[in-house]
Parts: sequence; structure tokens; C-alpha cells
Amino acid sequence: MTSTQPASQTACATAPSVVEVEASCRLPVLFLSFSGVAWLVLGAALALLASVQLYVPTFLEGCPWVTYGRLRPAAINALTYGFALQIAFALALWLIARLGRVPLTNPLGLFMAGKFWNIAVTVGVYGVLAGDASGYDLLEFPLYASLPLFASYACIAAWALVTLHQRTERDMYVSLWFVLAGLLWFPWILSTAQGLLLGWHVPGVVQAVVAGWFGNNLLQIVLTGFAVAVLYYFVPKAVGRPLANPALTQVGFWLLLLVGGWGGLSQLSAVPAWIPAVSGAANVLVIVPVIALLIPLWQTADGSISDAWKASATFRFMAVAAFLLLGVTVRTAIFGGHFTQFTLFAAARTDIIVLGVFGLAALGALHYIVPRLTTGEDNLPSDGLADLSFWAGIFGMLAVGIGFSLAGLGQAKVNADATKDFLVNGVSGIAGALQLVTFGYGALALAALAFLANFALAVRRCCAACCGGAR
Amino acid sequence: MAPQLQLGDLPPAAIPNSAEVYPAVRPGVAAQGAEVYRSLGCNQCHTRQVRQDALLFGARLTETGTNGVNLELPGSGKTNFVNFDLLIALAKVRTDLAIAPIALPSGLAGDTNVAPKFAQFGANLALLKRSDDKSGIARPTTGPSVNELAARRPAEVLAQVGPDAAERAVKLLGDAGAKAELVIYNLGPDMDRGWGARRSVARDFLNDSPVLLGSVRVGPDLASIGTRAPEKFAAPWKFASTNTATELEQHLLVHLYDARLLAKGSTCPSAKYLFDAQKPEVRYAGEPLTLPGKDAPVFPKHNARALVAFLLTQRTDVGLPEAPTPAVAAPAAPAAPTAPAKP
Repeated sequence: MTSTQPASQTACATAPSVVEVEASCRLPVLFLSFSGVAWLVLGAALALLASVQLYVPTFLEGCPWVTYGRLRPAAINALTYGFALQIAFALALWLIARLGRVPLTNPLGLFMAGKFWNIAVTVGVYGVLAGDASGYDLLEFPLYASLPLFASYACIAAWALVTLHQRTERDMYVSLWFVLAGLLWFPWILSTAQGLLLGWHVPGVVQAVVAGWFGNNLLQIVLTGFAVAVLYYFVPKAVGRPLANPALTQVGFWLLLLVGGWGGLSQLSAVPAWIPAVSGAANVLVIVPVIALLIPLWQTADGSISDAWKASATFRFMAVAAFLLLGVTVRTAIFGGHFTQFTLFAAARTDIIVLGVFGLAALGALHYIVPRLTTGEDNLPSDGLADLSFWAGIFGMLAVGIGFSLAGLGQAKVNADATKDFLVNGVSGIAGALQLVTFGYGALALAALAFLANFALAVRRCCAACCGGAR
Repeated sequence: MAPQLQLGDLPPAAIPNSAEVYPAVRPGVAAQGAEVYRSLGCNQCHTRQVRQDALLFGARLTETGTNGVNLELPGSGKTNFVNFDLLIALAKVRTDLAIAPIALPSGLAGDTNVAPKFAQFGANLALLKRSDDKSGIARPTTGPSVNELAARRPAEVLAQVGPDAAERAVKLLGDAGAKAELVIYNLGPDMDRGWGARRSVARDFLNDSPVLLGSVRVGPDLASIGTRAPEKFAAPWKFASTNTATELEQHLLVHLYDARLLAKGSTCPSAKYLFDAQKPEVRYAGEPLTLPGKDAPVFPKHNARALVAFLLTQRTDVGLPEAPTPAVAAPAAPAAPTAPAKP
């Protein structure tokens, strides 16, 4: 275990044992993981229902609570705040504790803050379904949900940063750079966006610019950053080698922070032309940091990829997530312009980053973390369920990505050519691709359920180990 | 911060020759409709941003001017005013058109008013010929001619050209004593679809909060739904009477009730919950809504009327300095065959 732990040669004498560290993680990390994946099930189910409505408009008709305009934002926000960010906190806590060789500060407080986070997300999703959505992409939660959300985040981040400060391993490994950046970046963008939108009340389209800026930063820096942190922890561990080329990693890290925040505004048309232009340029430039971050991983794993693929379920998730990260970046850079504006192609970027790049990396990480935190074993009880989770996750993600992309390209052709009939080509014509999306969300929900079943088995195994089989 | 610095103090634009500004503050019902629009998440499927690929210009001849001469004999009771200068100017602008020869009626050869002008015309023609030869222009001798163009009013002299060519044409025609105006062409698939007279700009959304621009077009753009021509809807229809405002309102209400009653392939979720099947027991229930193909009318609730009122405020027909609109009465259709897109 410690032999593959990066940068672990100079541990202090006072460093606590691995067992102590993991014991402190158990309650908050397992709780956040479990509820995060449960939100994945719920969010994917909501997204599935919404996607059906895109081609069967009579589905769930007649009730404002489940009309598409409310279901879709409810699903996306449940996936982003309930699943992605919550799992990101779990992973951040665990990475800080493990890489910093320090027990978590105040695990009970973290657990309570996580609990409040879940309550706030529940209230938010309920508010969106009730019609209180704010109308800004990825910021749809009404104020009465987003303020408690921010408060509980503040608690989680504060204790995480205190833990980081108390670390006994003073060298910060790459993963911790991204964790630290994400933990500080998220409150900055959230408070800025909410302050400008709800406090300062910026006028007119500046609101749309601010909301777009927030959404892009959340996806491109916070969630991508957490995904990269996970990749940098687990890829060297799975292949059993130290990280190659840390200098390039450093370049990639700073460039991502520098460039990543500028993109993501190409869906805006009714704004001064320089805004989408700058955003389009940033969408292309962000290829550089992404490649700079993926090359060291490739160099680390090169030669052992097939062995690690067979040996470790976690590595398989990581490999696919890395591939998706490259894919979504190139896709946005090449096709992210005028042609795909106002189509599902552009909108699918959120799904791919939340569920694919971050989601698959996180599921892979949880396949490693959960068994360690329950009984200290390396694998979850059921290999079959782990395989099911992996393949359902991959195929679900591919189906969502490809389905939305094909549908979006169909819409883009209609947008570009006024001789094409809008209803026939742009609405009825994309139904086939959207059915693929429905299938994909179903498969993703299945992947999450398979993991939750494995999770339950691991907890049962843990109870059996502790109490000798007594219920 | 840069967008805020640029746009934070954007004022409403004054509408010329009136005390109004654009955009005007929405009336109360429409403002409530904006809340319904947000609450139901209409912006998840509809954008309110019209895109524009190009802004081109044209020149339109509206009057031939008063400096023409009558080529009919005095006392014949007929008139045939010809503005020779205008013909030369048109020929300079439209090098692809022939200039048909004009014969001076023999009875006018001694007219002291007509004869010198005709002689001047002949000299100008020779100059034009020389300048054509110099610039290598091979002017056709048959086919459509500038004479036909000058006889029509209004005539689209130039269509869809750059600003310089159009301004030069307007100046040449004006110097020739005629009246000409600059025409604006907003081009792009959105305009071809009839989704708006011009692109949407930041100023259109000054009074919106939240600003719901929308990012996906699962349904048609709504930026100009309040002024859209019936034949430009996804499922085209026709006004049955001259009371077009009421008809459009009824049409949108039916769309809210069930879009499939109007367009079979529509995937717009129906909002039947915004309607009462029975006459509600309130003091004023409003006019009942007759549904196509159904006997029993329904009663729109306040939220349905508010949402439609909001939709009816969506318009892009107000020209702005940063996004001009073509003149409302542009007779584009009849003039189209004689105005090829050629500078």
C-alpha cells in the first residue's frame, strides 16, 4: 500500500497510522459517498423521464410538477449538487486525509454538514419542481435552497482546509493541488454569481453572462479538477509506479486555472460579439492544459495499461474518464461554435462532464475507497456487480453523449438552413437519437444501483466482521 | 467584470419622433407572464435570441424627381416624363443592365426645353460609353434595361450589397434629382424563417429579470413571437379576420392548451392545468376559448393569459442603432425578380 503511495518517503515521526486515518474518514466519507450515489440514481431517473418527454410529449402530461421545463433542471441540479459535488467532497476529504497522513478534523461535524447539504439539495430539487427555479443554468436552485447549500459547504470546506493544514506529510501531491483549488474555487464562483445575480441585481444580459461564467467554471475547473485529482491518485497507484513528469503536471495545473474559466459562453448570442468570441478561443486553448495533464498520466501508465485494466476495476473507470476528458475538450473546441449553438449538442457538455469525466472517475474511486473504509479489503464483495456498474456506466455515458450529439447535429442542420422544415427535421427527426439518450440515463441509473448494492454488501460484510455475524 | 462595465449602464434607446423608449417596461400582466415563463421552464426548450449572419444594404428608388422632361407632344394629352440624368445614374450603378436608346420625337426637335437636355443626354451617354470601355464593362444591348427600372416606383436598384456600394448608389440617384433610400437587409436562416426582423441584442433584455435567453432550440425561437406572421409559424396558419391581435392571442392560448391541436408533430408539453374546463366561479372569467375540433370551450386561467401577454410583448421589430431593422413596408416580394444580388 505505502510502496505505491506517491511522495511518502519523508513521513514525520508523529504521522498517524493508516488505520487511524481511515477510521476518521469512515463516517463522513461513507455517508457522502452513499448519498451522492443515491442522488445519481434519482437524478438519472429524473433525466430519463425528461428525455422521454422530448419525443413522447404526452408522457406525464397535465401536471406542472413534472413538465419538461421543470424536470430537466431538477435532474441536472440533482446530478450536479447531489451527486457530483457531494462525491467530490467525499473524495476531497479522503484524499486530504490519505495524502496528508492526517485524521480528519471533526468527522462528526463533517457528517452533519453533509447531512445539511443533502437536505438543501432535496429542498432545491423540490423547489425547482414546484416552479421556484431561478432560471439560470446550473444555478436553478431557489434562494431558500442555495443559501443553506452554501452554509453547509462552508462547514465542509473549512474542516477540510483545517485538516489539510494539519497534515503530517508536508509535500503536497498533485491531487491535493486540484483538491485545494477546487475547494477554494467553488465558494468563489458560487458567492460571486449569487451575489451578482441576487444581491447586486446586475441588469439585462449580464445576468446570463454571469450564470454562464459560473456554470463553465463549475464544470471546467471545479469538477474537471476533482476528476483530475482522482486520476492522479489512482492511475499511479493502479500501475504501481510513481508519477512521471511532474513538471508538465504543474504547467497543466496553472494553465487550467488560467484558461479554463474563460470558456463556456458560446450559447449566448444576444451579447456583444467579443464575449462568445473570447469564450470560443478559450474553449480551444483549454486543450493545452488538458493534454498537459493527460500526458504524465499516459507516461506513468504506458506499458502496464492492459495489465492494470484486467487487474483493477478502479483503473478501468479511470482510463475511460481520462479518455472522456480528452474527448469532451476536443469536441467543445472543434464543434463548440456557431454551428452547434442552441442545440442539444452544446447542452450535452454538462452531462458529459458531470456524469462522464467526473462521474465515472468518482465511481471508480469509490470502488476502491468503500471496501477500504468498511473492512479494509481491496475489493468490493461482488466482482459481478462491479463489472455491471462499470459496463452499464460506460455504455450509459456513451449512449447519452452520442445520442445528444446526434440529436444536436440534426438540430444544427435545421438551424443553419431555413429551407428545412423545423417540425419535421428539427423536432420529429431527432427522436431516434433521443431514445438512445433515454437508454443511456437508464443504464447510468443501473450502474449506480449496482454500486449501491455492492456498497450494501460491503457494509454487511463489515458488520459481519465486527459483530461476528450477529445482526 | 468586463461585461458589466460595458453593459451595466446601457440605457433604453429613444424611439425617434416619439417620447417612447425601447424596451418599454412591460405592463403588469405581461410581467406576471414572465414569471410563469420562468416557473414552467419554457426557456429549457425555447431560445429568445435571434441570430443574424450578415447585415447588407440596398438602394431603393422611390421618386424620379421633378427634373424629367415630357417626351410626348404638347397638347397630345399624354405625358411621358423621362429623367435623363437618372438614366445615366442608374446605368452607372447597374453596369449589368442595358441602356435602351431613346428617340426624340420629331415634333420636339425644336423645343427649347427638351432639345438641349436631349443633346446633353447624348453627350453623357458617350462619356458613359468611354468610361465603360475604360473599366472593361461590356454592357448588354438587349434584355432588361435601366429605362424599365426607372419607370417603376419603388424600384429596388441594388439589393444585398455592401454599405459602400449602396451609399454610392443612393448618392448618385439623389444627385440626379431622384429620391432614393438606403435599404437594410438582415440576413440569416432565422430571418428567412421569419423569426425576427433583426438579431437580438443586449438592449432587448434591459427590463428582464431573470434574463431567460434560453440555450436550446427544441422549439422555435420566441424573440419575435408577438409580431410573427401566421405563415411563419412552425405549423403555418392564416388570419381569418382583420382582428389579428385577438386571433394571435387565441392561437397562442390554444398552443398552451395542447400544441398538437395546431401542429401534429409538436413536442411542446400541454399546459392544460392553466385552463378550467368549467366556467370558474369568479366575477369575471374572461372570454372562453374555443378549441379547434372540440365542442366544449375551456376557460383560460389568469396565468395562461399572463403568459400569452408576455409572449405578445416579444418583438424585434423596433430598430436600434446597433441592430437596425428594414423599413416595415418593404415591398420585397414584387421587386425581387428585377433586383439580382449583384453589386
